[in-house]
Amino acid sequence: MNVNIGDDIPEWDMPSVRRERMRTMAAILRDPNPVHWDDTSTGRYGFEGKTINQGPLGLSYMVNMLHDWAGTTSIRRFIMTFPQAVLSEDHVIARGKVTGLRDEEDGTIAECDIWLHNDERGTLLKGSAEVLLPG
Amino acid sequence: MTIPPMPDREEIRALVGHQFPGGTYTIAHWENFLLTECTGANPLPNSQVHPAAMFHVPILGANTTIGEMFALGQAEADSSIGIESYDWELFSPLFEDVPYDITATITEADRVTNDKGRTFDRIQFVFNVADPDGNLSARSTVTWHYHRTTS
Repeated sequence: MNVNIGDDIPEWDMPSVRRERMRTMAAILRDPNPVHWDDTSTGRYGFEGKTINQGPLGLSYMVNMLHDWAGTTSIRRFIMTFPQAVLSEDHVIARGKVTGLRDEEDGTIAECDIWLHNDERGTLLKGSAEVLLPG
Repeated sequence: MTIPPMPDREEIRALVGHQFPGGTYTIAHWENFLLTECTGANPLPNSQVHPAAMFHVPILGANTTIGEMFALGQAEADSSIGIESYDWELFSPLFEDVPYDITATITEADRVTNDKGRTFDRIQFVFNVADPDGNLSARSTVTWHYHRTTS
Protein backbone atom coordinates (compact mmCIF):
# COMPACT_ATOMS: atom_id res chain seq x y z
CA MET A 1 0.00 0.00 0.00
CA ASN A 2 1.60 3.24 -1.13
CA VAL A 3 0.70 6.01 1.29
CA ASN A 4 2.22 9.46 1.60
CA ILE A 5 1.90 12.27 4.08
CA GLY A 6 -0.87 14.56 2.90
CA ASP A 7 -2.88 11.82 1.26
CA ASP A 8 -6.64 12.01 1.68
CA ILE A 9 -8.33 8.88 2.98
CA PRO A 10 -11.28 7.82 0.79
CA GLU A 11 -14.50 9.21 2.26
CA TRP A 12 -17.18 7.12 3.94
CA ASP A 13 -20.72 8.36 3.47
CA MET A 14 -23.70 8.07 5.81
CA PRO A 15 -26.60 9.53 3.80
CA SER A 16 -28.96 9.81 6.78
CA VAL A 17 -28.38 9.16 10.47
CA ARG A 18 -31.31 6.95 11.42
CA ARG A 19 -33.12 7.27 14.72
CA GLU A 20 -34.04 3.59 14.89
CA ARG A 21 -30.32 2.82 15.00
CA MET A 22 -29.97 5.21 17.94
CA ARG A 23 -32.73 3.32 19.73
CA THR A 24 -31.01 -0.01 19.15
CA MET A 25 -27.72 1.53 20.24
CA ALA A 26 -29.28 2.94 23.42
CA ALA A 27 -30.37 -0.57 24.37
CA ILE A 28 -26.97 -2.09 23.57
CA LEU A 29 -25.16 0.62 25.53
CA ARG A 30 -27.70 0.58 28.39
CA ASP A 31 -27.59 4.35 28.00
CA PRO A 32 -30.48 6.02 29.83
CA ASN A 33 -30.04 9.46 28.28
CA PRO A 34 -33.34 10.32 26.55
CA VAL A 35 -31.70 12.67 24.06
CA HIS A 36 -30.90 9.56 22.02
CA TRP A 37 -34.47 8.30 21.69
CA ASP A 38 -36.96 10.98 22.77
CA ASP A 39 -37.12 13.93 20.37
CA THR A 40 -39.05 16.01 22.92
CA SER A 41 -36.03 15.98 25.28
CA THR A 42 -33.66 17.85 23.01
CA GLY A 43 -35.37 21.24 22.82
CA ARG A 44 -33.16 22.73 25.56
CA TYR A 45 -30.23 22.24 23.21
CA GLY A 46 -32.03 23.80 20.27
CA PHE A 47 -32.64 20.44 18.62
CA GLU A 48 -36.40 20.11 19.16
CA GLY A 49 -37.81 17.30 17.05
CA LYS A 50 -34.42 15.66 16.59
CA THR A 51 -32.59 12.97 18.49
CA ILE A 52 -28.87 13.14 19.20
CA ASN A 53 -26.64 10.36 17.93
CA GLN A 54 -24.56 8.48 20.50
CA GLY A 55 -20.85 9.36 20.55
CA PRO A 56 -19.74 5.79 19.74
CA LEU A 57 -22.07 5.74 16.72
CA GLY A 58 -20.82 9.04 15.34
CA LEU A 59 -17.22 7.99 15.61
CA SER A 60 -17.99 4.57 14.13
CA TYR A 61 -18.42 6.18 10.71
CA MET A 62 -14.75 7.13 10.83
CA VAL A 63 -13.86 3.62 12.00
CA ASN A 64 -15.68 2.30 8.93
CA MET A 65 -13.75 4.69 6.70
CA LEU A 66 -10.43 3.44 8.12
CA HIS A 67 -11.51 -0.19 7.81
CA ASP A 68 -12.41 0.27 4.15
CA TRP A 69 -9.07 1.98 3.54
CA ALA A 70 -6.59 -0.17 5.47
CA GLY A 71 -8.43 -3.27 6.66
CA THR A 72 -10.57 -4.23 9.61
CA THR A 73 -7.66 -4.99 11.95
CA SER A 74 -5.65 -1.89 11.08
CA ILE A 75 -6.69 0.61 13.77
CA ARG A 76 -4.20 0.89 16.62
CA ARG A 77 -5.45 4.04 18.30
CA PHE A 78 -8.47 6.26 17.90
CA ILE A 79 -8.98 9.54 19.74
CA MET A 80 -12.21 11.46 19.26
CA THR A 81 -13.67 14.78 20.40
CA PHE A 82 -17.23 15.96 19.93
CA PRO A 83 -17.47 19.67 19.11
CA GLN A 84 -21.01 19.41 17.71
CA ALA A 85 -23.90 17.01 18.00
CA VAL A 86 -24.74 14.55 15.24
CA LEU A 87 -28.51 14.63 14.78
CA SER A 88 -31.12 12.34 13.36
CA GLU A 89 -31.47 12.65 9.58
CA ASP A 90 -28.06 14.32 9.25
CA HIS A 91 -26.09 13.51 6.14
CA VAL A 92 -22.53 13.03 7.36
CA ILE A 93 -19.31 12.14 5.60
CA ALA A 94 -16.27 10.65 7.34
CA ARG A 95 -13.03 12.15 6.07
CA GLY A 96 -9.37 11.85 6.89
CA LYS A 97 -5.87 12.86 5.95
CA VAL A 98 -2.50 11.23 6.57
CA THR A 99 -0.36 13.54 8.71
CA GLY A 100 2.59 11.29 9.51
CA LEU A 101 4.19 7.94 8.89
CA ARG A 102 6.42 5.96 11.24
CA ASP A 103 7.91 2.50 11.22
CA GLU A 104 7.23 0.12 14.05
CA GLU A 105 8.01 -3.54 14.69
CA ASP A 106 4.92 -4.83 12.91
CA GLY A 107 4.92 -2.37 10.03
CA THR A 108 4.26 1.22 9.07
CA ILE A 109 1.85 3.26 11.13
CA ALA A 110 -0.07 6.06 9.43
CA GLU A 111 -0.96 8.94 11.72
CA CYS A 112 -4.18 10.51 10.53
CA ASP A 113 -6.44 13.44 11.24
CA ILE A 114 -10.04 12.29 10.96
CA TRP A 115 -13.31 14.17 11.11
CA LEU A 116 -17.01 13.94 10.42
CA HIS A 117 -18.35 16.52 7.97
CA ASN A 118 -21.84 17.89 7.48
CA ASP A 119 -22.57 20.34 4.68
CA GLU A 120 -24.73 22.62 6.82
CA ARG A 121 -22.78 22.67 10.09
CA GLY A 122 -19.22 21.81 9.06
CA THR A 123 -17.09 19.58 11.27
CA LEU A 124 -19.21 17.73 13.82
CA LEU A 125 -16.60 15.39 15.30
CA LYS A 126 -12.84 15.44 14.98
CA GLY A 127 -9.91 13.45 16.22
CA SER A 128 -6.94 11.39 15.22
CA ALA A 129 -6.09 7.79 14.51
CA GLU A 130 -3.08 5.55 14.18
CA VAL A 131 -3.48 2.90 11.50
CA LEU A 132 -1.23 -0.05 10.66
CA LEU A 133 -0.85 -0.06 6.91
CA PRO A 134 -1.15 -3.35 5.06
CA GLY A 135 2.26 -4.62 3.96
CA MET B 1 -36.80 20.07 38.27
CA THR B 2 -34.68 20.62 41.38
CA ILE B 3 -31.00 20.94 40.67
CA PRO B 4 -28.86 19.34 43.37
CA PRO B 5 -26.22 21.49 45.06
CA MET B 6 -22.76 21.51 43.53
CA PRO B 7 -20.58 18.92 45.29
CA ASP B 8 -17.51 20.09 47.14
CA ARG B 9 -14.42 20.16 44.99
CA GLU B 10 -12.68 17.83 47.45
CA GLU B 11 -15.43 15.26 46.98
CA ILE B 12 -14.72 15.27 43.27
CA ARG B 13 -10.96 15.12 43.70
CA ALA B 14 -11.35 12.19 46.09
CA LEU B 15 -12.70 10.12 43.22
CA VAL B 16 -9.17 9.66 41.87
CA GLY B 17 -8.18 6.07 42.48
CA HIS B 18 -11.73 4.79 42.66
CA GLN B 19 -11.73 1.22 41.44
CA PHE B 20 -14.74 -0.37 39.81
CA PRO B 21 -15.47 -3.97 40.72
CA GLY B 22 -14.21 -5.32 37.41
CA GLY B 23 -15.22 -8.59 35.85
CA THR B 24 -15.56 -10.31 32.52
CA TYR B 25 -17.56 -9.53 29.42
CA THR B 26 -18.23 -11.81 26.49
CA ILE B 27 -19.49 -10.16 23.32
CA ALA B 28 -22.19 -12.34 21.83
CA HIS B 29 -22.73 -12.65 18.08
CA TRP B 30 -26.18 -11.05 18.24
CA GLU B 31 -24.83 -8.04 20.10
CA ASN B 32 -21.95 -7.53 17.68
CA PHE B 33 -24.25 -8.03 14.70
CA LEU B 34 -26.70 -5.38 15.90
CA LEU B 35 -23.95 -2.99 16.94
CA THR B 36 -22.21 -3.29 13.58
CA GLU B 37 -25.49 -2.78 11.73
CA CYS B 38 -26.06 0.41 13.72
CA THR B 39 -22.76 1.77 12.38
CA GLY B 40 -23.85 1.15 8.80
CA ALA B 41 -21.12 -1.42 8.18
CA ASN B 42 -21.37 -5.04 7.13
CA PRO B 43 -20.35 -7.69 9.68
CA LEU B 44 -16.59 -7.88 10.05
CA PRO B 45 -14.75 -11.07 9.05
CA ASN B 46 -13.72 -13.87 11.41
CA SER B 47 -16.17 -12.86 14.16
CA GLN B 48 -14.25 -9.66 14.77
CA VAL B 49 -16.03 -7.22 17.02
CA HIS B 50 -16.65 -3.73 15.65
CA PRO B 51 -14.44 -1.25 17.53
CA ALA B 52 -17.53 0.80 18.40
CA ALA B 53 -17.92 -1.78 21.18
CA MET B 54 -14.99 -0.10 22.90
CA PHE B 55 -17.38 2.25 24.63
CA HIS B 56 -19.88 -0.05 26.30
CA VAL B 57 -17.99 -3.34 26.63
CA PRO B 58 -15.36 -1.94 29.04
CA ILE B 59 -18.02 -0.15 31.08
CA LEU B 60 -20.33 -3.12 31.46
CA GLY B 61 -17.43 -5.54 31.86
CA ALA B 62 -16.10 -3.47 34.73
CA ASN B 63 -19.45 -4.05 36.41
CA THR B 64 -20.54 -0.49 36.25
CA THR B 65 -23.01 1.46 34.13
CA ILE B 66 -23.22 4.80 32.44
CA GLY B 67 -25.77 5.74 35.10
CA GLU B 68 -23.38 4.86 37.91
CA MET B 69 -20.60 6.86 36.26
CA PHE B 70 -22.95 9.83 36.06
CA ALA B 71 -23.87 9.36 39.73
CA LEU B 72 -20.27 9.08 40.95
CA GLY B 73 -19.62 12.56 39.62
CA GLN B 74 -22.95 13.76 41.05
CA ALA B 75 -24.26 14.75 37.64
CA GLU B 76 -27.07 17.26 37.79
CA ALA B 77 -28.89 15.38 35.05
CA ASP B 78 -28.12 12.90 32.29
CA SER B 79 -28.10 15.83 29.91
CA SER B 80 -25.50 17.74 31.94
CA ILE B 81 -22.69 15.42 30.80
CA GLY B 82 -20.38 16.57 28.03
CA ILE B 83 -17.78 14.42 26.30
CA GLU B 84 -14.23 15.73 26.26
CA SER B 85 -12.79 12.73 24.44
CA TYR B 86 -12.77 9.01 23.92
CA ASP B 87 -9.33 7.49 23.48
CA TRP B 88 -9.28 3.86 22.36
CA GLU B 89 -6.03 1.91 22.13
CA LEU B 90 -6.43 -1.36 20.25
CA PHE B 91 -3.50 -3.68 20.84
CA SER B 92 -5.28 -6.54 19.09
CA PRO B 93 -8.75 -6.97 17.59
CA LEU B 94 -11.59 -8.10 19.85
CA PHE B 95 -13.59 -11.19 18.90
CA GLU B 96 -17.02 -12.57 19.67
CA ASP B 97 -17.44 -15.22 22.37
CA VAL B 98 -14.17 -14.43 24.16
CA PRO B 99 -14.47 -13.71 27.91
CA TYR B 100 -12.44 -10.54 28.32
CA ASP B 101 -11.25 -9.50 31.77
CA ILE B 102 -11.86 -5.85 32.49
CA THR B 103 -10.49 -3.60 35.18
CA ALA B 104 -11.26 0.08 35.60
CA THR B 105 -10.31 3.05 37.71
CA ILE B 106 -10.79 6.80 37.88
CA THR B 107 -7.45 8.39 37.06
CA GLU B 108 -8.28 12.11 37.06
CA ALA B 109 -11.00 14.21 38.71
CA ASP B 110 -11.02 17.91 39.36
CA ARG B 111 -13.05 21.09 39.04
CA VAL B 112 -12.40 23.31 36.05
CA THR B 113 -13.63 26.76 35.06
CA ASN B 114 -13.15 27.38 31.37
CA ASP B 115 -12.35 30.66 29.62
CA LYS B 116 -16.07 31.37 29.29
CA GLY B 117 -16.50 31.19 33.04
CA ARG B 118 -18.37 27.90 32.90
CA THR B 119 -17.67 25.49 35.72
CA PHE B 120 -17.56 21.74 35.33
CA ASP B 121 -15.98 18.73 36.93
CA ARG B 122 -13.62 16.83 34.62
CA ILE B 123 -13.46 13.12 35.36
CA GLN B 124 -11.37 10.54 33.51
CA PHE B 125 -12.05 6.80 33.57
CA VAL B 126 -9.56 4.22 32.30
CA PHE B 127 -10.67 0.70 31.38
CA ASN B 128 -8.23 -2.12 30.56
CA VAL B 129 -9.44 -5.09 28.52
CA ALA B 130 -7.38 -8.30 28.70
CA ASP B 131 -7.82 -11.60 26.91
CA PRO B 132 -8.17 -14.87 28.87
CA ASP B 133 -4.38 -15.32 28.76
CA GLY B 134 -3.92 -11.99 30.52
CA ASN B 135 -2.64 -10.12 27.49
CA LEU B 136 -3.83 -6.52 27.28
CA SER B 137 -6.07 -6.33 24.21
CA ALA B 138 -7.35 -2.78 24.47
CA ARG B 139 -7.65 0.27 26.66
CA SER B 140 -10.46 2.81 26.72
CA THR B 141 -10.00 6.23 28.30
CA VAL B 142 -13.24 8.15 28.74
CA THR B 143 -13.11 11.81 29.78
CA TRP B 144 -16.35 13.51 30.64
CA HIS B 145 -17.35 16.97 31.84
CA TYR B 146 -20.01 17.19 34.54
CA HIS B 147 -21.48 20.62 33.95
CA ARG B 148 -22.73 22.62 36.94
CA THR B 149 -25.43 25.23 36.84
CA THR B 150 -25.03 26.20 40.49
CA SER B 151 -22.15 28.28 41.81
